[in-house]
Amino acid sequence: MAHWSTFDKETEKETKKLIKCISGMEDEEDQNFQLALKFTWSNFRFHRFLDVDSHKVERSISGIYEKLMVHSDLRKAESWMRLTDEFLNSPLPQTDGKKTDAHYSVLSMLFSLSGSPSNNDFTERPRIKEAEAEDCFDWAKYLMEGEDIDNGLYPDTPVWSEDESEDDDSQRPISREDSGIQLDRTPPEDQDNTNKTVPVTWTVGEPGARAWLEQHVVTPYWVTHSPRFPHSLHLHSNLLNVWDQHLYNTDPLYLPEEKAFVTETQVIRETLWLFSGVKKHFIFQQHDGKVSVRNDVVVTHLTSNCLRSVLEYIAVYGQAVFRLQRFIDEVTGCSSEPCPPGSLSSHNSKKGSEPPFRTYQAFVWALNKYFTSFKEELTTIERELICNDETMTLSAVLERLGPHLSQIKVLHKVFCTGVADVPPATPNVVRASHLLNTLYKAIIEYDSVGEASEQAVALLFSLWTETVRPYLEIVDEWIVHGHLFDPAKEFIIQRNKDVPVNHRDFWYATYTLYSVSETVESEEKLNDSASGSSGGDQSSSSRQLTMVSFLKPVLKQIIMAGKSMQLLRNLHCTEAESSEKSSRDAERKDLYTLFLESVQSRLRSQETSPTNTVTDDQATRRSLIKMQSIVAQHLEMENVHDPLLAINFARLYLEQSDFQERFSGGDFIVDRSSQSVTCQTFELTLRSCLYPHIERRYIECCGNLMKTLKKDYKLLEYLQAMRNYFLLEAGDAMYDFYTAIFNKVQEKESWQQPSFLNVQLQEAVGQRYPEDSNRLSVFLENMDPSRKKHPVNNLEVLTLSYKVPWPVDIVISSECQKIYNQVFLLLLQIKWAKYSLDTLRFIHELKLQEAPAEDVKLKEPVHQQIHRMCLLRVKLMHFVNSLHNYIMTRILHSTGLEFQHQVQEAKDLDQLIKIHYRYLATIHDRCLLREKVSFVKEAIMKVLNLVLIFSDRWQAGFGAWKIESIDKMESDFKNCHMFLVTILNKAVCRGSFPHCK
Amino acid sequence: MASATSANLNAVRETMDVLLEISRLLNTGLDMESLSICVRLCEQGINPEALSAVIKELRKASESLKVQQQQHTKCHFK
Repeated sequence: MAHWSTFDKETEKETKKLIKCISGMEDEEDQNFQLALKFTWSNFRFHRFLDVDSHKVERSISGIYEKLMVHSDLRKAESWMRLTDEFLNSPLPQTDGKKTDAHYSVLSMLFSLSGSPSNNDFTERPRIKEAEAEDCFDWAKYLMEGEDIDNGLYPDTPVWSEDESEDDDSQRPISREDSGIQLDRTPPEDQDNTNKTVPVTWTVGEPGARAWLEQHVVTPYWVTHSPRFPHSLHLHSNLLNVWDQHLYNTDPLYLPEEKAFVTETQVIRETLWLFSGVKKHFIFQQHDGKVSVRNDVVVTHLTSNCLRSVLEYIAVYGQAVFRLQRFIDEVTGCSSEPCPPGSLSSHNSKKGSEPPFRTYQAFVWALNKYFTSFKEELTTIERELICNDETMTLSAVLERLGPHLSQIKVLHKVFCTGVADVPPATPNVVRASHLLNTLYKAIIEYDSVGEASEQAVALLFSLWTETVRPYLEIVDEWIVHGHLFDPAKEFIIQRNKDVPVNHRDFWYATYTLYSVSETVESEEKLNDSASGSSGGDQSSSSRQLTMVSFLKPVLKQIIMAGKSMQLLRNLHCTEAESSEKSSRDAERKDLYTLFLESVQSRLRSQETSPTNTVTDDQATRRSLIKMQSIVAQHLEMENVHDPLLAINFARLYLEQSDFQERFSGGDFIVDRSSQSVTCQTFELTLRSCLYPHIERRYIECCGNLMKTLKKDYKLLEYLQAMRNYFLLEAGDAMYDFYTAIFNKVQEKESWQQPSFLNVQLQEAVGQRYPEDSNRLSVFLENMDPSRKKHPVNNLEVLTLSYKVPWPVDIVISSECQKIYNQVFLLLLQIKWAKYSLDTLRFIHELKLQEAPAEDVKLKEPVHQQIHRMCLLRVKLMHFVNSLHNYIMTRILHSTGLEFQHQVQEAKDLDQLIKIHYRYLATIHDRCLLREKVSFVKEAIMKVLNLVLIFSDRWQAGFGAWKIESIDKMESDFKNCHMFLVTILNKAVCRGSFPHCK
Repeated sequence: MASATSANLNAVRETMDVLLEISRLLNTGLDMESLSICVRLCEQGINPEALSAVIKELRKASESLKVQQQQHTKCHFK
């Protein structure tokens, strides 16, 4: 244990190796590995075993010998004795001397590990020879270079040492080297290496033909123990050997491994194949989606570590390509070529049962376009490689592919975050919006980097424009034809199937907006409040995602336009307009085309004029231009547009134009930098190229809808009708109706019969507005008994209802009618009070005069009573009349005028609905029906109630009056009056009731 | 000097071969790589019995781990 601290580190290393070796775990971070390491350490440190006792070991050795003898395993026993003896007398790697503790220690360990040596079938191998043979076998591989040529120059070499390889080199100091350092004096044999088609005549079936082919075409390096290709022995091309030799010499325990030799050309070709998506390789191996480098592949002129690091770098990209390719295959259903987007409809039919996810398809199409160009490049390189006209090294190829590789990296990154990271059960809408968002964010991210990532931005922009296509097509279809065609449910807005178009709830509940963002959620709710319930659970499931951000600024317009259009379509469906529509349709360009055109025109405007000037002597000007661009950027800080800058980017455009045909990302760069705002230009582009089209369409659609609703569906007339009946604007008709009721009440007859009420209503309305009479009806509701105590509340059982036809009921909903009804009841109550005051007759005075025989003493108070009653009546009349006037004229009429004015100006249906609601809220508020000012209303109600009681008393006649009740009524009225005056004065002073007197 | 080292190296290599033979005879189940690791550890003063105990434990553990994984995959396939 004395060595402990000194060897601590060394021991730990060995321990790790041991664990790897025995358990086969490779990952040191693995939990199990850590456990094993911990366990091992604790065992090494805290064990209860005695130190090794050499005597004991000796005894064990002889014991085993005896045992073997007993088993009459003579041969084994003999080898045992000999081997142990030999071992104890040989040196150990780090310990000098013989029969040391270390020797015994090793033996003791073996003893404890041994498993029934007597039963074991053991024959001693001819050791020395075997060891050498093993050496030879391994080292032959390294030595073959020379031997292949000279055919067994060194048969079984007993001891292989450095001297000999030096010998090798000295014998053949100059030879052809793979990397082409010394091309002269190439030994003729080496020509085989170069895969050149040598014109040789041979016939098929000739026995030598196959052998010739094997020699002259490509060495089948993928076959294990394949024949080795010949190559030179120059030091440069034998670095691997030299290094291995060094390892062998320094580390006695170094175990040479079996290697598979390849040439650099083969590595390059495999690399190219890997990039082009070939799945089976020799050098690169694929295990469930992971590309790894084969362990034992070596080239002769590099150490295996060096080669490995390069190949691993390649494998990373290979894996990215592989994943993208697999995604492409998955989406296209393993067909080799996805259809061009133009034939998306044919795609639909092909897939059959499951509607295709068009956003992914479009994305894949864009990816595929990129890969086509990438593969073209790869093919070019490979063709050059086959021609073998010039030297091609792996690093040169990698350099040449550099831009592509970085683009692949960008693509893969986008793919990972946008597609691969999305859990499989996610609905399409979230996937699509997530993908689009990822692209969008990536563009903005790279865009903000500026010049450094032009290519990435160009690539991403082209990807984005392709990917966004289905969305724009959906939007287009929706806002132009009113038909939300989205079979794969990928659009952020979806139609709720169970709501028919001609339903009252259509406007609110038809569409579900999948808003998936915390920050914008409240906004969304505003847009589409009724669908919030279904949108809500969506947002909880995937909160980290955001709604498709590029559509956000115009989302409201899209929704409005779409809904309007669908409504309009349904309104129009009876009318025969189809032929006209279709002809218009043919001329119309869809949104996507419009978008592309505007992008192009926007970019071209800054690009065309300078391009012409630049083409002739572009090369000479290039440096100048570059300098100029830097200056231009400074100029642009002050909003000066410099054409030379555009020249510079036009050049970029020219270079890249082959890469994207439809419209190049280079275009975009022109746009971006001439704007000189890095971050927002993408949004600016959208704003100028996409949003106006949507905006225009929105105005058109909603304008049409409003026009149709107003003109063909008499929206305004219906609104007027609501005011007529509910707000009593049709005074004459409604007067007939309510006086009939009031008369009944005064005559103490039961008036609460639906048939009576409806007949009265029909009679009153039918005379003047025959078209409305069958829409109006009256219902009686059961009132809760707690509120029944006052006579004025008796009226509250009445419910007036007006059947509003579709589609006007979108605006005048039942909720609206409820509010109307509340106002109606209030008005009715006031009217009742007014009516009952108005109809009081002065019968009492007559009575008084007719009965003069009464006692004079009595007369005096009676007169006084009458006088007081009259005074009270006048006061009450004054109050009721002014209240009546105030509400009918100042509130209802003026607010109604305002409302009519706003309705005329409403742009879309939503706005109209909002205006209507606001109007209702205002009158509801001003009629003091709001919860907050209910105390005022209570006071007014009290007065109205008083009026009714008063009139009741009056009607009852003179004899029934009592001085106390008159007192009470007077004081009640006074109190209420005072209360109202103070409250309203305060309120007016505060300015909270601007509409008050 | 170089030849001396190389001679020494060869001697060590031979020792290891002998040791491998012994190990085979004793049926320890160690291959060359693990054997050389064990030798180095022994030389560094690790107690041989502790070492062998550890090796046995590790073998057992990795065996059971493998069985578990196989069952796991079987379950998956079912």
